[in-house]
Amino acid sequence: MRRWGYRFVVTPTLESVDALALGLGPEQQRRLFKFADADGSLIALVGEKTIPVARLAAGQLRSAPLPLRLCYAASVVSNDGGRFANRRETHQVGAELVGAAGPAADAEVIALAVRCLDAAGLKRYQVDVGHSEFFHGLLAGLKLPAEIESGVRAALAARDFVALERLLETTPLRSAERELLLRFPALRGGREILDAAGRLVANRRSERALADLARVEELLREHGLGGQVNLDLGAIRDFDYYTGVIFEGYGADLGRPLAVGGRYDRLLERFGRPAPATGFVVHLDLVAEAIARAGGPPDLPRLDAAVAWSAAGLPVALKLGSSLRLFGMRAVVDTESRSLAAARRWRGQVGAQSLVHCGGAGPVTWAAGSRTRRLPPEQVVAQIVGALR
Amino acid sequence: MKVSLAIPTGVLLEGSLSLLERAGVSRVTAAQLGRRLFLERDGLRLVLVRPADVAAYVDHGAADLGVVGKDQLWENPGDHYELVDLGFGACRLILAVPETSPIAGPETWPPLLRVATKYPVATAEFFRRSGHAVDIVRLHGAVELAPQVGLADAIADLTATGATLRENHLRVVAEVGSSTARLIANQASLKTRSGEVQALVTKLRSAAR
Repeated sequence: MRRWGYRFVVTPTLESVDALALGLGPEQQRRLFKFADADGSLIALVGEKTIPVARLAAGQLRSAPLPLRLCYAASVVSNDGGRFANRRETHQVGAELVGAAGPAADAEVIALAVRCLDAAGLKRYQVDVGHSEFFHGLLAGLKLPAEIESGVRAALAARDFVALERLLETTPLRSAERELLLRFPALRGGREILDAAGRLVANRRSERALADLARVEELLREHGLGGQVNLDLGAIRDFDYYTGVIFEGYGADLGRPLAVGGRYDRLLERFGRPAPATGFVVHLDLVAEAIARAGGPPDLPRLDAAVAWSAAGLPVALKLGSSLRLFGMRAVVDTESRSLAAARRWRGQVGAQSLVHCGGAGPVTWAAGSRTRRLPPEQVVAQIVGALR
Repeated sequence: MKVSLAIPTGVLLEGSLSLLERAGVSRVTAAQLGRRLFLERDGLRLVLVRPADVAAYVDHGAADLGVVGKDQLWENPGDHYELVDLGFGACRLILAVPETSPIAGPETWPPLLRVATKYPVATAEFFRRSGHAVDIVRLHGAVELAPQVGLADAIADLTATGATLRENHLRVVAEVGSSTARLIANQASLKTRSGEVQALVTKLRSAAR
């Protein structure tokens, strides 16, 4: 993410419940681990990082010029793992682009999220892009009585289309917009879905959302992501929170989204610095699960060299280790004296590409693959660095 | 990979199989299934699971779609799309008291009504909406026994025909909810394999009408 100009930030793990309440719905507040500090004020373990990052952008970084590009990696906790993953603590990386509106910013954040899935080693995935204003436009267009409208919102949030159908049956109006709401889960595909929906909607909000999506889709192609991107007008995310383009990243065989995000232009104003913003979070635990399912556990970090020694070889071994590290190699220097045979077994245990054994001043033994040679230490460094180039 | 459908053993099994047949998806009889829990045919993978487990299979993505009674979803809301009311397997969750009990309409309920049930979530929600205080005793079976031995004032239990209620001399005082079989879908299956999954949903939807 650094390559995209996002600055890594560390935010507090503990926050006052009052501050978190500015950005969380009642259901999310319920899931916080809460406790009282010595003064009796209520504090909580942060359940997700967007709010602390928003607070940072509006607080300590308030004089920093917008747009701000910030990213984080953290473990977050939830008091209610649900019947899914009973994990209370999960690991996330995420990014927020604060102070930039418009399709270019939306596309940047989506492209970055996709590159994160890529970098994590995921082979097969897709991203579904939707727009919360499309839904708001439809709902407003139906002009439902307030109590039915809140029922419709609740039914959609619960993805309960049986309840939704019953609620809409009570309204006399049979409009194209109503049919669109009922067909919500099927409103996905490529560009053609925008034209199809465009012929059916008759309200400015939804039309503008479709135009936004068309532009974002074009830009994502320019980012080189044509193949992995679908449009999903029926994407359901928290509609009270998101204000624009929203997206979800899915792996091949996992039943839940690996990455989610979208535009939330009204959060920052609650912290006193009104600004548009968009961002995403990648659920690392789910990504790890998807990778493991796709083909065995991921490789552990590779060790380039194991440096062993015996007799008076320790000073040479330490120098050799330092030189290798100067060239960016990962090298472990043994803590005890070993014979060459014992060192070969040790190399297997630590899983290094090369073994170097120093028996004293002068040439050292270098074993890589099936070859073993005796060379001066400087040449061994050159060979290891060269081989990996 | 084939589309997989979780169907429940028990009372909804016959209805589920007949729905598949009417939809022209697959002809399987309960006898053919026998004791098998797993069957692949006609490009479809059928997974037979306990009624209370259907939602878990679908939510975790072990099945793309599932047939499940709404009564099971009351207790485990979960994380799936509820797409179609399949119409069969109708039953009601009712509040019942012994025939000899003075309890009838809400005005006769004691200040704190004690209710025994296998459905604590749906029952609590009903009393929350009606604004009446309730003390719920969660049981796992033979709920009709509870008022007879003084464990509870009333029971909340499922009934399709009312036969069990009559046998146990119980009288219905309120309807807590009504249920039918529903078609549910995994949220990712609808996105990552939307072609096959939506096609099956469409067939089942039209067969359910």
